[in-house]
Amino acid sequence: MEKSYKAPMGEGIYEVNTGDWRIQFPEMDKTRCTECGICLMYCPVNSVKAGYGEVLLKNGNTRQGLVYTIDLSYCKGCGVCAQECPQDAITMKRENKR
Amino acid sequence: MTVMEKLAFKEDMISPGISACIGCNVELTLRTVMKILGPNTVFAVPPGCMGGVGVVGWNKQSGAKPPVFFPLLDNTASMLAGIRLGYNAQGRTDINVVAFAGDGATVDAGFQALSGAAERGDRILYICYDNEGYMNTGYQRSSSTSKWAWTSTTPVNASGGGGKRQHKKDFPVIMAMHDIPYMATASPAYIPDLVAKVEKAMSVTEGLAYIHIYNPCLTGWGIPSDQSIEAARKAVQSRYFPLFESSRRKIRITRKVKEPIPVKAYIQASKKFRHLDDEQIQELQELTDERYRFLEAMEQVSQEG
Amino acid sequence: MSTHQAAAKSRVDVMNGNMAAAWGARLSRPQVIAAYPITPQTPVVEYLTQFFADQELDCQMSEVDSEHTAMSMLTGASLTGVRCYTATSSQGLALMYEPYFRASTLRLPIVMNIVNREMISPQTVWGGPQDSLTLRDAGWLQIYVEDNQEILDTTIQAFKIAEHQDVLLPINVCYDGFYLSHMSERVEVPSQESVDAFLPSYHSDHILLDPDRPAAVDPLTSGYLLMEYRQKHMAAQQAALDVIAQVHDEFARLFGRDWGGLIETYRMEDARYALVTMGSVTGAVREVVDRKREAGVPIGLIKVRALRPFPLQQLRSAMSGLKGYGVIDRNVSFGWNTGILFQEVRSALCGLDEQIPCIPFISGLGGEDITLDLVGQAADAVVRNTAMVEQAQWLQVAHEGR
Ligand code: SF4
Ligand code: SF4
Ligand code: SF4
Repeated sequence: MEKSYKAPMGEGIYEVNTGDWRIQFPEMDKTRCTECGICLMYCPVNSVKAGYGEVLLKNGNTRQGLVYTIDLSYCKGCGVCAQECPQDAITMKRENKR
Repeated sequence: MTVMEKLAFKEDMISPGISACIGCNVELTLRTVMKILGPNTVFAVPPGCMGGVGVVGWNKQSGAKPPVFFPLLDNTASMLAGIRLGYNAQGRTDINVVAFAGDGATVDAGFQALSGAAERGDRILYICYDNEGYMNTGYQRSSSTSKWAWTSTTPVNASGGGGKRQHKKDFPVIMAMHDIPYMATASPAYIPDLVAKVEKAMSVTEGLAYIHIYNPCLTGWGIPSDQSIEAARKAVQSRYFPLFESSRRKIRITRKVKEPIPVKAYIQASKKFRHLDDEQIQELQELTDERYRFLEAMEQVSQEG
Repeated sequence: MSTHQAAAKSRVDVMNGNMAAAWGARLSRPQVIAAYPITPQTPVVEYLTQFFADQELDCQMSEVDSEHTAMSMLTGASLTGVRCYTATSSQGLALMYEPYFRASTLRLPIVMNIVNREMISPQTVWGGPQDSLTLRDAGWLQIYVEDNQEILDTTIQAFKIAEHQDVLLPINVCYDGFYLSHMSERVEVPSQESVDAFLPSYHSDHILLDPDRPAAVDPLTSGYLLMEYRQKHMAAQQAALDVIAQVHDEFARLFGRDWGGLIETYRMEDARYALVTMGSVTGAVREVVDRKREAGVPIGLIKVRALRPFPLQQLRSAMSGLKGYGVIDRNVSFGWNTGILFQEVRSALCGLDEQIPCIPFISGLGGEDITLDLVGQAADAVVRNTAMVEQAQWLQVAHEGR
């Protein structure tokens, strides 16, 4: 049952399914990506996630570091990540769901 | 923790889905700032874009994880000052008491409350996201709107005349002159700088800390969503919005712009300036140069003192 | 503690109404005070800041930049669950209107003395409850008092009423500017221990900003839910009728002073006529009632103490069967051509079977004296009257040069 308040309060998280808004989505090309994290830094929706993993270096070696992926759940498809990626590793693709 | 680790692993304090416009850099700013502030925070979001998009919540739900509330448009700083006193009375001094307010609620209607809190030294962290107008209600002008900009209350006629007739209020300087322990300007295009400034502001234990963030508004200014960060960056690169900080009147430019791009390059990013002629653009260039010179002079004086 | 013990521990002093209010606040141990000076309330702020400077008052004190800030600050402080106090007058109250309305609709039990003063224009600083009466529908409880002892006692009671779990609403204790605020009278100041025994500390969990219990305060709300909150707010106002009476009785038992509760009746037992008043003019009316009684006129007095909530039933039972009454208003209700209290009383009496002849009087605006002679004229008019008069009778002393 919904909680009853004497005065206007809100508990529990209100959320809008902003993933539904998307008309284009970002696709990350890991062959170009250098795992710099710029896309995470600028994604307004916090849709870029990071974890520790193996980062492939230009010389073919690997190092341990942050590895970035995009979670489309709430991604609004703004294209900021694609625009800001210094390696052009993200491309915006048309959303076909409609 | 490196900045990247903070951004990657600190908990997002805001609801994962809020209805800010696609690409909105205020949403980015809010999420970033709140990650740094963390859960031991109470924050005020006055009427404006971020309140309108659901950050305070809807009906019996909240739009954020920490306690959040709507102050009135004009009393954000006073309500927060009261919250601080209430916690002081209970011996709870470790809580961050924070405003995340638009320019309308800060430089216009909320100015007396903010100026009073700054003068009294109320211990709050006040963040203003300056998107140059009342965007949540359809892009009306504020005293922070740039000169000549189109807004719904400073419309432009068919021959390109009109727009706002006054210059943007130089609010960061006004706040710095309150002698507060910390004042900074910041930009969503310079996230590590923003993070460092929020951390400095959090460490203030006596008095008010103020951060003024310049957020070009996509929908209100007419900027394509993927240009969200680039527009903000150009404002800094052109010296139109310099990044600096001050502590008790000691001013330091935190990002020196040695070779500025022309203000015109910044202006061209937004449709709201589309009608400007060369003379008007020149006027904005001169204002920019003048304000930057003034800032450098103040920095100079601060170093001598 | 018995009445005897409480009385024994009090001390007698001579003080003006503002000092009585400041003592009432001080003894109630508010945790946050924010106030801005305005005539005639200014000395309240001076007294409290002096108590604070002398370390006799342990609280968070803020000397703010405006009344708007004062009420905003207390709204914030109250949301952290602490006891809050302020005072204001007139234009200050008007400036406060925005956070004032909100303090009640957020259900924050803030206590505020209002030192009643006319609203400008014309430019004035003198007494009259036009300021607070105009805000009677902003959701606060409002009690109007008659003398300095009543100011002190009611201010202490106000905290207990406002913070009662069935109420949780802010409250004004209103008293006339200059007539009470600046006039000195004998006042008994209860001991701190006796007030502590009467007034427990405040704890809130009905609305709270606390990182340990995160929640949003005042999210955007749909109309249906707003209606639910309004209904609860109105029910709390009604519940306050009982709470005001209970708290008042408890105070009377402990401290030996009885102010009547929601309304005070004077010589009404066998009265056929009544004058209805509020605030400091009541003293003059009491005097006139005594004189008329000596002359054989069966008239009494009803002093309305609680204006919000309005003591409907109490007035009906006190006034049922009368042959006539008059209401002396020191204020106006524009658009009705009467004062505000008259409207309230007449609405309440609509619930009676009989229609009681009545006269609305307006007198004493802008701090003008309501003389014994004027009150006598009002009493005579009430006794003569057989109609439901709807146009205010203005009671005024003739001024030279007019
Ligand atoms: S910005 Fe580009 S290169 Fe950097 S992590 Fe993201 S996809 Fe990889
Ligand atoms: S398209 Fe926009 S919302 Fe989606 S991941 Fe990229 S920056 Fe984030
Ligand atoms: S109107 Fe502007 S500031 Fe507001 S949500 Fe949209 S883009 Fe962001």
